[in-house]
Amino acid sequence: MLKEMQEALIAGKKPEIESLVDRALAAGTPAETILNEGLIPGMERLGVQFKNNEVFIPEVLVAARAMNAGLAKLEPHLARAGVKPRGVVVIGTIKGDLHDIGKNLVAMMLRGNGYKIVDLGVDVAPEKYVEAAKANGAGVIALSALLTTTMVQMRAVVEAVGKAGLDIPVAIGGAPVTRDYADQIGARGYAPDAASAVEEISRIIAAR
Amino acid sequence: MTPRGLVVDSLELRAPERVPRQLWTLPWAGLTWPAELAAIRRRFPDDIVWSPSFLREPLRTTGREYVPGTFIDEWGCRFESVQAGIIGEVKNPLIRSWEDLGAVRVPRERLSVDVDEVDRFCGESDAFVLSPTIVRPFELIQFLRGPENLYVDLAERPDGLFRLIETVHAFYKEEMELWASTAVDGLNFADDWGGQRSLLIAPGLWREIFKPLYRDYAGIAHRHGKYAFMHSDGHIAVILPDLVEIGIDALNAQLFTMDIEEIGERYAGQITFWGEIDRQHLLPYGTPGDIERAVRKVRQALWREGGVIAQCEFGIGARPENVAAVFEAWDTP
Repeated sequence: MLKEMQEALIAGKKPEIESLVDRALAAGTPAETILNEGLIPGMERLGVQFKNNEVFIPEVLVAARAMNAGLAKLEPHLARAGVKPRGVVVIGTIKGDLHDIGKNLVAMMLRGNGYKIVDLGVDVAPEKYVEAAKANGAGVIALSALLTTTMVQMRAVVEAVGKAGLDIPVAIGGAPVTRDYADQIGARGYAPDAASAVEEISRIIAAR
Repeated sequence: MTPRGLVVDSLELRAPERVPRQLWTLPWAGLTWPAELAAIRRRFPDDIVWSPSFLREPLRTTGREYVPGTFIDEWGCRFESVQAGIIGEVKNPLIRSWEDLGAVRVPRERLSVDVDEVDRFCGESDAFVLSPTIVRPFELIQFLRGPENLYVDLAERPDGLFRLIETVHAFYKEEMELWASTAVDGLNFADDWGGQRSLLIAPGLWREIFKPLYRDYAGIAHRHGKYAFMHSDGHIAVILPDLVEIGIDALNAQLFTMDIEEIGERYAGQITFWGEIDRQHLLPYGTPGDIERAVRKVRQALWREGGVIAQCEFGIGARPENVAAVFEAWDTP
């Protein structure tokens, strides 16, 4: 059934995911097993397909929606069992920038990979990232920008995090952003696309 | 040789005496570098110009498009902006559910073009004149439906999606026919199809749903003896053969997201590359030397006694000396 769940997730079949999760729970499968052996491997496979240009934004969005439906069913069981997320990621589009589809894709894929997401939305001031990271015990702060004029705000977030005395890595992404730019501003993570963002953030969190 | 002649010779691979050029600007450039922009325009006048719209009826819009705040366009799409000189984003789409489809107001005032005025403008200009049409079906339905809703629609294919596309496309065809009846030299249409490293949707889906729309627009242009000019941002290498096949004459694409040498090997001489030079990295962060090398690379890959228009965009973050360097490099054989 868990394999079937992966296939249904990749195909974005929300009602099927809901039904499979219900059946698995009813059969006594622990919620953590359903998450770690059913849903998350499905999202991981989808991430690889996305990275390889085998699936595109529409397929990722419908899969993420199916994932969210499955998670909604699992969450009360996970909470009761004391299962912790793989990490907490505070995410937002940088100040002055209202573009959010890239940021939303990253957030969905991280959520689908077992992370707790604190999504601050768009046009987010540096101090907001700091406050949210402190309040939620974030493992990573993830920043998105579409515009060359707004990506300069990323440096301000890195500086604000340092000034607040927080040892929380910042990861950045978005159309104009490059690895060189990340290195220049002291961002510890960079990803050129949503699937790579999950890998990069997982790497950073695992290394902490 | 007139500017119009230079452009036509480049489109027809007839070895124009110099590479024709066109500078695009975003309002940001004029706000940030007014004197520098004026100097570049004096030094490198455009060979391609846009006809004014010459509308008899004003567009029913609210607010201003490039100032912080809210702007509602002629279709009723509500844009929110926080930066001067940069277009906003639609945060509350008009079509939240398919019952809202009737709320879409087709802006027929865009058809109130004074054709005589357009013809007079074209007759008095020695430049190649493009229609000012903002024909962009994919982008418009994103604005109307909201990007995320639309992407989900493209996966689920509800009937409403196809009704919406048909409404938009029927109006655009009418608008293109109207402009094709004027004395402009080319019809312009656009849509941003690429992400940073791939198409935004599956190429098969693009071919099935969207390619026929652009085929129609190119067909309208050609039936009236006009050239078809298309723009798309992003990495669109996978659909370049389709654009060649449907008869796009000039394509404005973000060449630097793709493999320019490979594009040259496969398509040079089959379609004219209407720019550009990398506006994401080189124009804002490069040096004039970097620009000169970039132009040389494009020329070597794509120029075949024509087939290139020296276009670049003076947009967000671009340095004026780099914009000038683009045209200096193209003017240096």
